[in-house]
Amino acid sequence: MDPVIDQQVEVSSRGPREAARGIALSRSSVKRRILIDRLVRRLVTLGGVTIIASILAILIVIGVEVYPLAGKPAATLRETTAAAGGGSPLAIGVDEYMEAAFIVDAGGITLISLKSGSAIPSPALAGLGSARIVSASPAGRGGFALGLSNGRVIPVEVRFNVSYAESGRKVEPEVVTAEPLAVDPSQRPIERLARIEGAEGPVTAAQVGAREIVLISIKETKALVGEAKREETRKTLSLPAKGEITAIALDARGDNLFAGTSMGEIVSIGLRDTAEPRVTSLGREEGGAIPSITVLGFMNGDRTLVAGDAGGGVASWQVLQDAGGDRRLTRIYEFASHEGPVVAFTPSRRDKGFLTADGTGAIKLHYATTGKTLLDVPAGGAQHSTVAGLAALAFAPKADGFVTADAAGRLSHFRLDNPHPEVTWRSLFGKVWYEGYEKPEYVWQSTGGTDDFEPKLSLTPLIYGTLKGTFYALLFAVPLALLGALYTSQFMHPGIKGTVKPVVEIMAALPSVVLGFIAGLWLAPMMERVVPGLFLLPVVVPVLVLLALVLWRLLPAPARTRIRPGYEVILLVPVVIAGIWLSFGLGGILESALLSGDYRGWLLRALGLTYDQRNSLVVGFAMGFAVIPIIFTIAEDSLSNVPQHLVAGSLALGATRWQTATRIVLPTASPGIFSAVMIGFGRAVGETMIVLMATGNTPVMDWSVFNGFRALSANIAVELPEAPEGATLFRVLFLAALLLFMMTFVVNTVAELVRLKLRKKYRYL
Amino acid sequence: MPLETRLAPDLHANASTETPESIMVEIRTLSLWYSEKQALKNISMDVPKHRITAYIGPSGCGKTTLLRCLNRMNDLVDGVRTSGTIRIGGTDIYDSALDVTDLRKRVGMVFQKSNPFPKSIYENAAYGPRILGASDRRELDQIVERSLRGAALWDEVKDRLNDSALGLSGGQQQRLCIARAIAVEPDVLLMDEPCSALDPIATAKIEELMMTLKNRYTIVIVTHNMQQAARVSDITGFMLLGELVEIGATRDLFTNPKDRRTEDYITGRFG
Repeated sequence: MDPVIDQQVEVSSRGPREAARGIALSRSSVKRRILIDRLVRRLVTLGGVTIIASILAILIVIGVEVYPLAGKPAATLRETTAAAGGGSPLAIGVDEYMEAAFIVDAGGITLISLKSGSAIPSPALAGLGSARIVSASPAGRGGFALGLSNGRVIPVEVRFNVSYAESGRKVEPEVVTAEPLAVDPSQRPIERLARIEGAEGPVTAAQVGAREIVLISIKETKALVGEAKREETRKTLSLPAKGEITAIALDARGDNLFAGTSMGEIVSIGLRDTAEPRVTSLGREEGGAIPSITVLGFMNGDRTLVAGDAGGGVASWQVLQDAGGDRRLTRIYEFASHEGPVVAFTPSRRDKGFLTADGTGAIKLHYATTGKTLLDVPAGGAQHSTVAGLAALAFAPKADGFVTADAAGRLSHFRLDNPHPEVTWRSLFGKVWYEGYEKPEYVWQSTGGTDDFEPKLSLTPLIYGTLKGTFYALLFAVPLALLGALYTSQFMHPGIKGTVKPVVEIMAALPSVVLGFIAGLWLAPMMERVVPGLFLLPVVVPVLVLLALVLWRLLPAPARTRIRPGYEVILLVPVVIAGIWLSFGLGGILESALLSGDYRGWLLRALGLTYDQRNSLVVGFAMGFAVIPIIFTIAEDSLSNVPQHLVAGSLALGATRWQTATRIVLPTASPGIFSAVMIGFGRAVGETMIVLMATGNTPVMDWSVFNGFRALSANIAVELPEAPEGATLFRVLFLAALLLFMMTFVVNTVAELVRLKLRKKYRYL
Repeated sequence: MPLETRLAPDLHANASTETPESIMVEIRTLSLWYSEKQALKNISMDVPKHRITAYIGPSGCGKTTLLRCLNRMNDLVDGVRTSGTIRIGGTDIYDSALDVTDLRKRVGMVFQKSNPFPKSIYENAAYGPRILGASDRRELDQIVERSLRGAALWDEVKDRLNDSALGLSGGQQQRLCIARAIAVEPDVLLMDEPCSALDPIATAKIEELMMTLKNRYTIVIVTHNMQQAARVSDITGFMLLGELVEIGATRDLFTNPKDRRTEDYITGRFG
């Protein structure tokens, strides 16, 4: 109000009429001021609210992308067709669009359209003759085989021919058979059958009799001219197992044949190299009755064997090397049990999921990598209409559904909603026992070369990498920045400070991509040559500086006073440069004298450490360089803002500048210094380009300063362009982003609380 | 006239008892420049031992600058030059071989604005002894109690020595600053307008304290408040535009100023 009153007074001295005008004018100006005040206040509020809202919006977007990872799988019954064919099904299958299916029963193969629910007419199975089908091998990618009652085997393939007409997609199943194989000369029925398409030709394993397996491998070599040569090898194995064979499985590489027995044993037979198969027996070491093995089959990738038993138990097994170098079948996980004997098993061809079913019709979805049972479809109930007991089960090729057939030959098909089966809390953060690994480990490996590659999405190595990079960067940056800030604010002459501070602040303006580029392509190769010298630096430079200080004290007082106080630092510059030069020189000498001229060899021999060119040391320097300006500036400001009267009070008591700095200035500025370090921490955690370019991006977990790492942020940058939208990897990367956000959020919040507490303690007047 | 005759012998008596040993601070032809601006002009004077010497004068006359020369606090200001000599207890304090921290130990200072450190009451009083290397807890306890008693603060704070000093009232804070200054047993105590931010009751307490402190310390005080100078000081100097216009026994200066400018100032014609 003051200016208005002034104006009134001023105007009124000019006369009554003008005064009246002046009052009117001042009223309008009052109105204008109130208006501007309101407007500005609203604008400021709007700005603040917008910032909070946009942060929340970002969080929501991330949350929406991450949320489906936590989703539970669900199966819904689509339809149950009327009984087709006759008798109990031996095998079933479905096409990738879930429009057509087939059922194998004793009389042949029945093709069914799932759209109409009716059978598709098809010619009788060639080569069947008067025999009945008594067994079928598990359907794989290619064909499978049928075992006949007369000791013959028919290789068969059901092809789903997809054509696109104007009326839409049309799936036409077709049965293709190959020439039957006479397996058993004495024409005993084929009890159980396994068949794979090996690299050299098909391998068929057929069980005839209680303990006898006939193994036929056919080698087809095509000559350049003339007829293809066909070479058939035949072996008959008589298993030395106690029980009878109840299940067999053959891996796709043709390495091993596994047989489950009625005594609950799994017999593994090595097929490669040895003329005679090697037989090793592995019992289930459990007290009491040992249930017989009813189902044996391989997961996608043919490394994990799944065994279901008559007690309802489901377990996964792998051949692993034990401590003695012996390859043994090792149980990996025990899954949730069925109530009755397990009758069917089918693996997903997309991931490491598999379905098991018991005779009552209860179906369970398991995940081999995580050892978890994801879904339980109970028998009976509204969504399930198996009446006559479940007999066969098959996953759809895209793993988005499955079909079941009951003993009466009625087919049910289910849709399965299971987008992220591999993600659990444990697979993201805990140790996971992946196929081919000796023990559970933290692994990040999102893509691989083969179709049956399993993504390994453990965030632990990435969090570890982020913390490791941050740790080394702060180890380098915090002492330098804080000591620099202390010197600059308390001891340096204001004249030099006026130059030093802006120069350090300009360092912050360097784009981190430039820093990363310099670090990766110039600093890393250069540092590699002088590593021993680098480790001498923190010893040699301070020693030289101390020596220089001693010499300085020895100088006569008049000579010393010629340097203005606060300018001494300039004298130290050549000392520090000499220190660096000396360290590198000494490092070379040290290397040739003590480390036999090769520090890397010595590291490996003496400490067991390997040296990567792009390592944490390089990141420490480069990221430290990025973080120093921030810590320095904020710390310097808070140190300089300590009231001069406190400093004067301390100095007037006879305290030296150092005593004043450490006892008064540092504690009083501690809230600011604390936030400086925390903001530096936040910057280092979120830093992307430097860690991306200056480390090897290997997601390993080890603290060695000579190895690289992969940080969460760099991982997002590396993998997001490759991740299909909506896929598990895509969502896990968003989860990584959420984690980064949380890390900085938590650190900043804690930092702010601590800062406020410190400020309360060291508040000054 | 009768007043003057009564005072004159007194002054004479004072002068005769003041042997050279009882001069604490001896200032000779002291001049000081802030860069180009001369702030003190050729000042010469003596400060007697165990007396309160006050400087009065209008703002910007250089009285605080003069005070801060005595413990070389002016060194902290960039571009300060001085000429002339100051001897305290016979030592030239501008000698280049002299350790400034040693000087400041001998010449304590209390500032215009109370400036307790953001520490406990105990740590404030123990700060001086601690920076001089005292670490024995019993010894420190004694020093803290003695200096707080010396500053007439002990009874008020003895039960909350570990509370923050910033919780004290303004007058208590200023007395804590006095306690902090006398904890290192200085020879001279400089006080730069110690009561300017205090209410009359707190001011009276400090003034009362100064009267007892002068038995142990030589006190030099700068004040804006002429009544205060008249109440507490033995000797008063009047400064104007960097010059020491007049100095003499306090009663003398206030009742019978020799210089016209002094008279104008103390009678309130300017300032």
